[in-house]
Amino acid sequence: MHPLDRAFENSARSLAKRTSRRSLLASIGQMLTGAALLPLLPIDRSARAHAAQPASAAPAAAAAKPAAPPPTAGVAKPTADEQNCEYWKYCAIDGFLCACCGGTSTSCPPGTQQSPITWIGTCNNPGDGRDYIVSYNDCCGKVSCGDCFCNRNEAEKPMYRLSRNNDVNWCMANTESNYHCSVSVILGVAEK
Amino acid sequence: MLTLLAGSEPLWAAAAATTAKAPPPPPLPVEHLTTARVGPKSPHWVYVLDEAFNNEIDTRVYLFDGDTHRRIGQIDTGFSPGVSLSPDGKTTAVATTYFARGGHGTRTDVVEFNDNDTLAKTGEIIIPPKHSQSLAMLFSLAYSSDGHFLYTPYLTPAASFGVLDPAKKTALSEIDTAGCTLVIAFGPNRVSSICESGRILTVTLDAKGHEAARTSSDQFFDPDQDPVFAQGVPLTDGYAYISFLGQVHEVDFTRAKAVARTPWSLVTGTDKGTWRPGGIQIGAVHYALGKLFVPMHRGGEGTHKQGGSEIWVFDLKTHQRTARWVIDTKEVGEVVAVQVSQDAAPIVFAATDKADVLIFDVRTGKLQHDEKKLGQTPSLMLNP
Amino acid sequence: MTGGAHRAAVCAIALLICKSAAASPAQDYMLHCMGCHGTEAQGVPGKIPPLANALTRFMRTPEGRNYVLRVPGAANSALSDAQLAAVLNWLAVTYDASAAKNSPAPFTSDEVAQLRHTPLVSVLAARNAVVRSLAATGPAPPAQY
Repeated sequence: MHPLDRAFENSARSLAKRTSRRSLLASIGQMLTGAALLPLLPIDRSARAHAAQPASAAPAAAAAKPAAPPPTAGVAKPTADEQNCEYWKYCAIDGFLCACCGGTSTSCPPGTQQSPITWIGTCNNPGDGRDYIVSYNDCCGKVSCGDCFCNRNEAEKPMYRLSRNNDVNWCMANTESNYHCSVSVILGVAEK
Repeated sequence: MLTLLAGSEPLWAAAAATTAKAPPPPPLPVEHLTTARVGPKSPHWVYVLDEAFNNEIDTRVYLFDGDTHRRIGQIDTGFSPGVSLSPDGKTTAVATTYFARGGHGTRTDVVEFNDNDTLAKTGEIIIPPKHSQSLAMLFSLAYSSDGHFLYTPYLTPAASFGVLDPAKKTALSEIDTAGCTLVIAFGPNRVSSICESGRILTVTLDAKGHEAARTSSDQFFDPDQDPVFAQGVPLTDGYAYISFLGQVHEVDFTRAKAVARTPWSLVTGTDKGTWRPGGIQIGAVHYALGKLFVPMHRGGEGTHKQGGSEIWVFDLKTHQRTARWVIDTKEVGEVVAVQVSQDAAPIVFAATDKADVLIFDVRTGKLQHDEKKLGQTPSLMLNP
Repeated sequence: MTGGAHRAAVCAIALLICKSAAASPAQDYMLHCMGCHGTEAQGVPGKIPPLANALTRFMRTPEGRNYVLRVPGAANSALSDAQLAAVLNWLAVTYDASAAKNSPAPFTSDEVAQLRHTPLVSVLAARNAVVRSLAATGPAPPAQY
């Protein structure tokens, strides 16, 4: 066994001796939510605040509060990269790039509604060699943007594997389900 | 009496002066406005669904004549539709979404019925606002083989489908498919869905359109190693599922449990690892000739939606490739959809990503016609 | 704690080092479940059930545990039995206020393996039946969502 493995085994065991099984799970849970999740979707910053608090206190409060309205981004300033289908973040996008439609790769155009459901993929950034987890939300409630159509399909799967499919309308669960454009939001670095 | 401007002459006077003898042609007859008829059906017609990506609430189906190269007419199909022809050929059913204010507003999902002799809408069934909004396939709406049931898929994203009575225009039942998607009809009372587990779920219905039984096939594909395109290719006894790497899984749907035959490969020898099938409507079969047509391209992982730079023709009995038709992709685009007429002098329709629809003579393999811009995004074709 | 769960716990901590570990449960949730169930496991009202303040209640009884392991998102997911157990256990402690007080036994990969491959016939009907029977004996997930 690798020395570090042994160190972790020992610390886990001593944790187990001192605490009950339930709190051990809770402790592990806290460690994971704190360490493993890098910035989440900007539409839900409350998740980060939640992760920092003890598991027993936060969720009840979070569940009781109505969801905060999504933060606004200010005037969109898309980069030239973001308006290009070959941009690394768009490795499995299907639709119009919101960056060409009044938004950016991380903001919906004014007056559109973010899709609460999405599918999540992984793209490699040649700039730093890392694989990033990205979220391909749609922006909904207006007719097709019609500009910068882009369809790439790295690791994309047919619709029987919905969680990897970009052929369905991810605006489907919105009250206004018309499809306008798609974003690609970094959720974090993919662990190997 | 015409009043003439000083110094000018009416043209007819000038003409009369120079060609003194020829009388003017008689005036054209009065015209009467009529409405064209669809006329007698031809096996070389094709219904082409235009997904109209740039304006998705405005999709439509064009009825196109593959011999005269003329549009016969159009059926409007709303937002993200499914389309199916009744087995007797008389009706085109459309499952779709409409928003009350065009692009927004209260959502109403419907299955609409269009008379194929007039291309007029003749009725509708309002369905729950759960119509599966996705890239249209042959399995986005489907009739039973005798036309008594019509199946319409729902995706919320929970997956289920509605069983409708197209004659009475009523909804009979909703059947949960536990995550499996699409409506793959076969026979008078069986409808299947394709599952992430690599299986086909088959539901048998009773006379009232309620579930009587369900089965799961054995796993026949691995969605991680080599997924199959969800859009199967109709065979006489079921459907063929083509995989990203070119394996053909012919599945027998004649019994209550779907059974896959031993797969065979579209790519052998040096083609392996280079050529792949790709597109949207990725295969068509001429039943009498036993020939399979598949758009093929050179590419690697992630290119499964890339259209074909060639169409390969296979013999379903021998599994041998019998022809390859090379596409001038610079000129016409890459082939994303194929369909074949079922008559004795068959033609293949091939829609490209440049919205061209190519017509090939099956016997000679020659490109007969390139119909430019048949719509904006033609991606699914149905036989009359 | 059983050997399997212990190893899973060790691997969960030693994210980058443990030889047999796949990605963390948090990442597995992100890649395989979060797209629909949400960043706070809150679901979408009327469309997707919440896991927050719900999952541990299902885990209270064998019937509830059976349901959880056979819902399409769990049963059909690409996650291995061990990964699925780890994700569910992580969700249970992360998104439930009552977990610390009365958390049920965590899932093991054996339990997952035994149950997940029998698909449910009707997911909503099954959920309704399970929720009704849970409500009769203690805290239950919301009947409507």
